[in-house]
Amino acid sequence: MKKFYGNKLAIAVFTLPALSLFSIMVFYPIIQVFYKSFFKWNGLSAGTFIGIDNYLRLFDDKLFYLSNKNGFIFAAVITVFQISVATILALAVSSVKLRGRNVFRIVYFIPVVLSVTVVSQLWLSIYNADTGLLNKFFELIGSSYRQNWLSDRDKAIFAIAVVNAWQWMGYQFALILAGIKSIPTSYYEAAQIDGASPVQAHMKITMPLLAETYKFCLLISVTGGIKAFTEMFIMTSGGPGNSSYTLTYMMYSSAFRSGEFGYGLAAATILVLECLIAILVFNRVFKTENTSEGA
Amino acid sequence: MKKITSLLLVFMLLIGMLAGCAKTETETPDAPAETPVVSEPAVEPAVEDEPVTLRIYAQYSDDDTKVPYDYAVEQLAIDYPNVTLELDIQAQDDGQKLQTYAATGNLPDIFQVGLSQIETFKESGNIMILDDAAKSTGFLDRAHPSAENIIYNEDGHIYAFPYAGNELVLWYYNKALFEEYDVKVPETYEELLTAIEVFNANDIVPMSIFAKEKWITTAMYDVFATRFDPAGITKLDTGESKASEEAFTKAAETLNELVNAGMFADGATNTNYDQAAALFYEGKAAMFLNGQWEIAGSAEKLGENADWMWYPVMPGYEDNKYALSGGGAPGGYAVNPNSEHKELAAEVAAYLSEKYCEAKYMYRGNPILAVKVDESIKPETPFPTMMQKLDTEMGNITSTTKFAWGLSNPLFKVAIEDQSQFLMTKDYTPVEFVEELDKVIERMNQ
Amino acid sequence: MKKLSFSQIFFRIFLWGYAFISLYPLVWMLLYSFKNNEEIFVSNPFGFPKTLRFENYINAWSQYDVPVYFLNSVIVASATVVITIVLAMMFAYATSRMKWRGRNFARTFVALGMFIPVQAVLIPVTRVVQDLGLSGSHWALIVPYTAFNLAFATLVFYGFFVGLPVELEEAACIDGANIFQTFFFVIVPTVKPAIATLGIFTFLNAWNEFILANVLVLDKSLKTLPLGILFFQGQFTTDWGAMGATMVIASLPTVLVYTLFSNQVEKAVTIGGAVKG
Repeated sequence: MKKFYGNKLAIAVFTLPALSLFSIMVFYPIIQVFYKSFFKWNGLSAGTFIGIDNYLRLFDDKLFYLSNKNGFIFAAVITVFQISVATILALAVSSVKLRGRNVFRIVYFIPVVLSVTVVSQLWLSIYNADTGLLNKFFELIGSSYRQNWLSDRDKAIFAIAVVNAWQWMGYQFALILAGIKSIPTSYYEAAQIDGASPVQAHMKITMPLLAETYKFCLLISVTGGIKAFTEMFIMTSGGPGNSSYTLTYMMYSSAFRSGEFGYGLAAATILVLECLIAILVFNRVFKTENTSEGA
Repeated sequence: MKKITSLLLVFMLLIGMLAGCAKTETETPDAPAETPVVSEPAVEPAVEDEPVTLRIYAQYSDDDTKVPYDYAVEQLAIDYPNVTLELDIQAQDDGQKLQTYAATGNLPDIFQVGLSQIETFKESGNIMILDDAAKSTGFLDRAHPSAENIIYNEDGHIYAFPYAGNELVLWYYNKALFEEYDVKVPETYEELLTAIEVFNANDIVPMSIFAKEKWITTAMYDVFATRFDPAGITKLDTGESKASEEAFTKAAETLNELVNAGMFADGATNTNYDQAAALFYEGKAAMFLNGQWEIAGSAEKLGENADWMWYPVMPGYEDNKYALSGGGAPGGYAVNPNSEHKELAAEVAAYLSEKYCEAKYMYRGNPILAVKVDESIKPETPFPTMMQKLDTEMGNITSTTKFAWGLSNPLFKVAIEDQSQFLMTKDYTPVEFVEELDKVIERMNQ
Repeated sequence: MKKLSFSQIFFRIFLWGYAFISLYPLVWMLLYSFKNNEEIFVSNPFGFPKTLRFENYINAWSQYDVPVYFLNSVIVASATVVITIVLAMMFAYATSRMKWRGRNFARTFVALGMFIPVQAVLIPVTRVVQDLGLSGSHWALIVPYTAFNLAFATLVFYGFFVGLPVELEEAACIDGANIFQTFFFVIVPTVKPAIATLGIFTFLNAWNEFILANVLVLDKSLKTLPLGILFFQGQFTTDWGAMGATMVIASLPTVLVYTLFSNQVEKAVTIGGAVKG
């Protein structure tokens, strides 16, 4: 078996195509980003090497901290919403007793199929202070809780995060559902014989077996939150003012609006590092959990 | 097992097919990508008859951009039958696409630029100096004397052929609404406050603004800056003044007061042009801020009820009444210096710009242009009253400033765009505004 | 028929309610595509259009060559799916089950692709595409799309492979199968649900991608559907109705294909094991 798993030729055949494609097409550009973040550069000229000046400036920039704060709020909102809702819906749909589960399975995924542009336009209409559904709803129930959802410096980021959380929930839903389906039925049959209720069975069997899937869901939510961009680009352009900037938006704005490419790339480098830390932390946390369970 | 084998077979077949079609696909389209290497024997106009395709990067998305483009292309087919244009439509992406093109050597032969792009592109040799072409094509002979500021860059060279004229920020209003509610068209700040009060009491939005776009919020702030200093934000752009100086602080405070007095609709910073314009056209908003190109649209929708006014004056600053916001900056059709047909491209760029002016004159009701239009050309419909008024009042204007896209310092441009939009929200303070701008201005002066 | 408890009824309402808000955007988009700016923004943002403005579709159709754009999208998205899945599956298998030094590093290395915002690497990616001589063909999009989707796909497959029992390979090994045979005939079939899910994800990513397509495709005959909105989105004003029509043209086929395909996949997949709740 050792020989089987250690087959050098197989390892090479399996990994080299992906590794080489990735290295050339993605990793090399990332290195460029990292390298150019030490330059004062407008994106076209040769640029001048300025050491860590861009980073020093970043750590002194209020906007950098605001962008990070927004990234974390975004990540927190979408992680909590997506993982909890996706789990509940996936478990419900995987149950054979539920009528219409095929319909649910397809419908819950629909928002993912649509493009971000459509979804952002829809929510712009919903959030509209004057004609929007949300304020109309509050009016209807006689509440005075009308808000300028996207024009409020403190609320805008939450409002945008909800859009992303809602649209991409389907991703996690599909992943968790696929995970549940990969679990052999015999496991549940055994649990049933032992007299476990469906909920207990899920807690005992589904959750631990899906640890990897959940780790992955967590990773896409958190990194998706940190690098959020498209929704703010379409819905608020980072506004009002700069109150819904994220690191990616800051990178975009520095590079393409103010022509400070080097500075923007420094922000992008920090972004990649933050995501890298996230994945390492998740690997560590989930590893210890697995071993403690095994013990 | 059978199922799996068949699945695998399908899989293999798919890969095979892809590899197969890949070959046929890469071979043919690769050719045009390589043609630039095969240089033309001569770039002289002598080979004019040889068919040439020029790539052009231009705006093409609404009447104001489609009508002139289509007209120019139509005319081009008559005067330059050998030239075909291949249009690449400009994306609304803050120049991201054009910048990427420039950085990767994919710059089209002819492209539309604004001032900040001219500055970056000339540093890196991505934009051709058009001084000679401007002379040889006769563009300069036909140019309006008043358009000098949009033709010549500060360094004295021509980098782009402008296809519009000097433009202004106009303060529009709906006459009928002012009459209906018996409100005086405000000439002073006090009168403006009164108007806001009356309209709010009657559920009319005092002023409609598409503050989702940051250039109009910049213009709104600039309007108030010109109330205190005719040079407006251009003084900040050059780093000559600081936002903490009286004129700019007062402008911020004034705008903040007006926002809190309810001059704009709730959620204005999230209103786009089409929404804001609809409010004005439907008689749900009494005033509207936009460039002078809005004249055609407002006149069409509101008829004689649409008009524009001088900006209200601040007590003690009556001299600045005729100072306007807006104004021109170099920009227009530029040429790629590495283009295979750069001489021809320059000629075509000048030609297109002139044809744009003709189209704007004929079909868009716009007589304020970079190039004099031939007298034989007549507008399709008579110019709206508002345009005639602007034409006659032109001489009274004492000064103009810049639109956001005419600002020369990109750092300042981003700062004023973000900060002016922020100022449009009720809880943003003028103190924060001044502080943030001064930080950037300090950085610019380093 | 068992009686439903109160909490079960409540749960059903939640499921149907959520289904409604998931389906709503589709309906909204369809209605939207038949309106003009005035209706969309002022008088009628959510209701049924007062008159069905088919001219939005005519307008969209006349501005760009819809069939060509469509075909390009199909080619690019399908090729991206197939290549991504094959490469990711092999890579994930090697890093999850085979024993070699550096496999954890390799896995995290490829995951980097998920973290980098496309805007930051736009220029270097375009250069690489040119240097590889891919410009002017569908590969100019297929190759970068595949590379960027690899990170996500390998991580998903990793999650599925790592949980499989060792007995699978042991049995195959005893039967005399080599590792390639084991991989293709034993391992791959067990992760069919993951393949189906990822196939859909990757397809959608490639289908809806705009930023790279916007700068990498110079040739008119190679443009993909998301680029259609360029014709309607101006600096100052946008023809929202025609844009709605463009978005319907781009999205509706995927919704239909997804709905049909999804049931087929479901049938194939559930043979393996349905969950008894």
